[in-house]
Amino acid sequence: MLGLPLAFATPMILTALVLLPVIWWLLRLTPPRPQTELFPPLAILARLVRKEETPAKSPWWLTLLRLLMAALVILAMAGPVLNPRAAKLAGEGPVAIVLDNGWASAPDWEDRRDAALALVGEAETASRTVAFVETAGLDPSAMQPMDAAAARAILSGMEPKPLKPDHAAAAGALSRLISETSPGSVFLLSDGLSRTGTDSLAAAMANAGGQRSVIAARTDRIVALDTVRNDPDAMTGTVLRTASPEASAVTVEAFDLKGLPLARRTVTFEPGADNAQFRLDEPVELRNQIVRISVTEMKSAGAVQLLDDRFRRRLVGLISGEAADVSQPLLAPLYYIGKALSPFGDVREASTPNLATAVPELIGQGVSALVLADVGTIPEETEKTLSDWIAKGGMLIRFAGPRLAAAGNSALLPVRLREGDRSLGGALSWESPKPVAPFERGSPFFGLEPPKEVTVQRQVLALQDFDLEAKTWAALDDGTPLVTAERREAGWIVLFHVSSDATWSNLPISGTFVDMLRRVVSQSNSTGIRGDGGTGDVRLPPLNILNGRGELMPPDVAVKPVVLRQNETPKVSIDNPPGFYGTEDGFLSLNLFEGGEKLTPLDRSIFGGGVEVSSFARDAAVDLKPWLLALAALLLVLDCLAVLWIAGSLQPANLRRPAARGAATSLVAALALALAFTANPPRAIAQDGNADFAAALTTRLAYVVTGDSAVDEISRAGLTGLTQFVAGRTALEPGEPVGLDLSTDELAFYPLIYWPISLNAPLPDAATMARVDTFMKQGGTILFDTRDQGGGVLGGTANSPEAQRLQLMLASLDIPPLEAVPSDHVLTKAFYLLTSFPGRYTGGDLWVEQSVVRNVEDATRPARAGDGVSTILITSNDLAAAWAIDSGGQAMFPTASADITQREMAFRSGVNIVMYAMTGNYKADQVHIPALLERLGQ
Amino acid sequence: MSPPIGSAAPRETSRETMARARARAALIPDLLVEARKVASNVFAGWHGRRKRGIGEDFWQFRPYVPGENMAAIDWRRSARDDHVYVRDREWQAAHMVWLWVDESPSMLFKSQTARVPKQSRSLVVAFALAELLARSGERLGWLGVSRPITSRHAAERLGEALIAMPPQTRFPAGTEVRNHSDVVLVSDFLQPLDEIADRIRSMARNGARGHLVQVVDPAEEDFPYAGRVEFTDPETGERLTAGNAQALKTGYGALFSQHIEEVRALARSFSWSHTLHHTDKLASQALASLHVHMTQGRGTR
Repeated sequence: MLGLPLAFATPMILTALVLLPVIWWLLRLTPPRPQTELFPPLAILARLVRKEETPAKSPWWLTLLRLLMAALVILAMAGPVLNPRAAKLAGEGPVAIVLDNGWASAPDWEDRRDAALALVGEAETASRTVAFVETAGLDPSAMQPMDAAAARAILSGMEPKPLKPDHAAAAGALSRLISETSPGSVFLLSDGLSRTGTDSLAAAMANAGGQRSVIAARTDRIVALDTVRNDPDAMTGTVLRTASPEASAVTVEAFDLKGLPLARRTVTFEPGADNAQFRLDEPVELRNQIVRISVTEMKSAGAVQLLDDRFRRRLVGLISGEAADVSQPLLAPLYYIGKALSPFGDVREASTPNLATAVPELIGQGVSALVLADVGTIPEETEKTLSDWIAKGGMLIRFAGPRLAAAGNSALLPVRLREGDRSLGGALSWESPKPVAPFERGSPFFGLEPPKEVTVQRQVLALQDFDLEAKTWAALDDGTPLVTAERREAGWIVLFHVSSDATWSNLPISGTFVDMLRRVVSQSNSTGIRGDGGTGDVRLPPLNILNGRGELMPPDVAVKPVVLRQNETPKVSIDNPPGFYGTEDGFLSLNLFEGGEKLTPLDRSIFGGGVEVSSFARDAAVDLKPWLLALAALLLVLDCLAVLWIAGSLQPANLRRPAARGAATSLVAALALALAFTANPPRAIAQDGNADFAAALTTRLAYVVTGDSAVDEISRAGLTGLTQFVAGRTALEPGEPVGLDLSTDELAFYPLIYWPISLNAPLPDAATMARVDTFMKQGGTILFDTRDQGGGVLGGTANSPEAQRLQLMLASLDIPPLEAVPSDHVLTKAFYLLTSFPGRYTGGDLWVEQSVVRNVEDATRPARAGDGVSTILITSNDLAAAWAIDSGGQAMFPTASADITQREMAFRSGVNIVMYAMTGNYKADQVHIPALLERLGQ
Repeated sequence: MSPPIGSAAPRETSRETMARARARAALIPDLLVEARKVASNVFAGWHGRRKRGIGEDFWQFRPYVPGENMAAIDWRRSARDDHVYVRDREWQAAHMVWLWVDESPSMLFKSQTARVPKQSRSLVVAFALAELLARSGERLGWLGVSRPITSRHAAERLGEALIAMPPQTRFPAGTEVRNHSDVVLVSDFLQPLDEIADRIRSMARNGARGHLVQVVDPAEEDFPYAGRVEFTDPETGERLTAGNAQALKTGYGALFSQHIEEVRALARSFSWSHTLHHTDKLASQALASLHVHMTQGRGTR
């Protein structure tokens, strides 16, 4: 129309424009009705106004204004769209759609899918078959032309894949399709990026006859995260984008295994740059916790880097000074070490006890750590090999034994040793066997429970050097070192002062030994996992997999284990999408970007002539309807003003008249109407101004209106049930529960807010979470309910979607360390004596803020007296559903177990939680009343 | 369209006599009550003639003159000494006051700023005056409606008489007015001035002293109209459309004050008093002003 890229959704309505002359005639004919007034002194007035005025017609400009208004409304109703989707189906024959569904399509996936669905819809109208070619995760069997309805079904369920599109393969598939079915239309729905193989895809398209069209997305939102390097001093990484003359900034966040954010950086792209560096120089302990780094603005698998450094399964080589006696494995020095290492490392034993060959062999296999059990003298050449290896980051773990004790000092020991060993508790010794002292703070073992049952009968002794204490990782009760270590450039030498079998000490057969070894080995560099070639491949099962939107999910059945082969780095493929593979103790990460990559925008010129190139509809199309309606409403305002002016109501003296006020009101209403057309519809929850008064006067339980109506109804019914129960059993009589809109309602009046997590509910924005943060900091308590039956609220990486959602929500909050309610927590005694907090389900723990046990006296108290109330309570037991009652007072949902007392217990849990929120640690003092009274009596 | 500034009181629209009578009956007792309230606020009583005569109030004791009526002897006073006394009362001569309230359709007008319609206010003022006069035993009549009545309840009786009669829409001829009587005319005086002057002249020729109470709606004086307005005369039904009413405000204001001045001049020419009353003011203001005029003898101020 008029050369403008303008189209109408319903052009038929435009025929109403012929009515405009009629409207004009009507408007001209009908003058504005005068104000009729009774006026007794008319005779006096008549002396002034001699002749009666002719009935005025409305001024021409007012008529024009109104005509314009009518025309605008008609135009708006016709649904005009500026820059409509240029890609229209033409020609005939099958429709081929090449769809980029890789990582880069995640940000605008809905647009892409809508565009494809629109094409399919047109094909359906024209009774044409449709053939898809997916560029990521290409499935050759799915490329056959199919019914448009079937294509629609497949398309609707399609999600972006966490893979890189393979344009070369797509080109091949398309060529075959073209040769087989000669489609009438070929569409490429591109994510806007160019790759190797895009040329061949363009060439394949050029071969097709008929209509050819490329729809490319904008690339300015596409950001990718390239490999992250964890150097000793900092973690550095690269963020990629397509080169753009404008500067932009993205946020990079790092998370630990539990999904808690550890670091955050804003990365700024210089104008013209296509990449930017970031650097995380957090303390090494913190950095070692990082397993996931992602770009906040881009929800895509390409914007996530998974790190496995800390948790990667280490390859550990074992060498013993003693020839293995296979008939007596329990006496073999390496037996316990191998067993202890196996949960988190891959153990390689040297094929020969000959150090000179065994050490280079194991190092050649790429071990991270090398265990030398009771190896005394090391050949000079081997010692040099080992030293070089340690300097490059190897970890040498040595165990004492008769040979080492006899061999004396060597360069590959962390401390200087005394000649010989000492024996405790023997027949010739005064002393009894020594237990292990608690681990010092500087030690990597710090935090482990010192094993009480472990005693040491024999050990090698270190000379009292000035730095001995600094090198000691573990010591006996009398202060003699048990484990010492020394850093040598990038590597470590660790010495266990006892033997690796049970003869000198029972440490190797204790459970602590496994943890100690794990901590020691985790200090080592992970130099990479290599298959051992000869003995077969290592298979790692999928642990958690990234989906196309960059979220870590439990793997689905299509994901296959990663097979590690000799000298081969595992690659991301349709079978092995990016994610973690292995077990929770040790895993391997696969990432989409492996360094040195670039993002190149699609060169539209490669498609040559005859190919229509356009952008996605939503990128460019502007729906003019709201703007036209807004303009019409604006004209309506002008009209109102004009009428008021003509009627003289705009005189200042007249503005106080009710009539003028009414007109002004309608003016404001028209203005509001104009705004409403252009703005998004406001949230529907109407707020009563008196609600705050009511809330302040009565204690009420409150729940968060999530927006998921089913969940909200359960919350309301649940809190109603709990309110009745609390009123019936306790002195507290709360008012009707209220639903809160966190973004607008004042939260300060509510002691306890119940917040069920719903996947259907939108995520609260930052401002809302800031309000929540304020509420919690002011002493309010929020009870989160993931309602997923203990689906791992905080444990491990295999979180339920609800728990992940909760983590996402809480990421911006200042959450203290949490613990499952310990048995002596006030919550278990706040009203009823409880041992668990069931809801509809029973499995999940109730998590509260960790309370600090200050001293031994505290630990022996029957109830722990932490100050204040935990600001956050997290449960997964779906409490509200257990409490929910209908209008007749009947429970709405059955409990998950057959235990008939479960509902009562759920209510009691609720009472305890409410009492806890209301009274805090008061009940912790209450349990001492008998003792206090007794003391007073004396 | 905003609601009009001025409106006719609902009574105006009904042409049915019965309904009208009932409405008036319902209105008048209210007016009486209000009139009593207003009257007691304004002044406590009607002053006597300051000489002995027939009346209710004690004036003086004087020695008994033989031949007088024995019943006039005040035995209580006489018992105090050797003389016999007679109780004299103050002479309270009943005065003749004629009332009249204009009930033409224009009087039913009420604008938004006014408290009540002009007719309602006029009746209130008239009945309040009647109440006051009746308290002091004056003889009260309503021109064209009722003969003079001397009664404590004269106001009520006048009201009853008024109900029975059709509305007084035309200026009274005043033929029943005699010498030394007062005439109180309450109206908006929007009728042609010549006609009014004729009637007043005939009453003044009979020797009556008169008081004109001109009731004006604030809208009639301030002319708060603006824009395109069609004016309707409630009396004649004539229409007049003003395209830009606010432009007429100044000119009209001058004309209307000239009209008031003409009425005032007319009153002065017969030495009658003239009281201007706005319906957005209190009725007692008009009453107080009227009282001043009636008690101050002849003259306007």
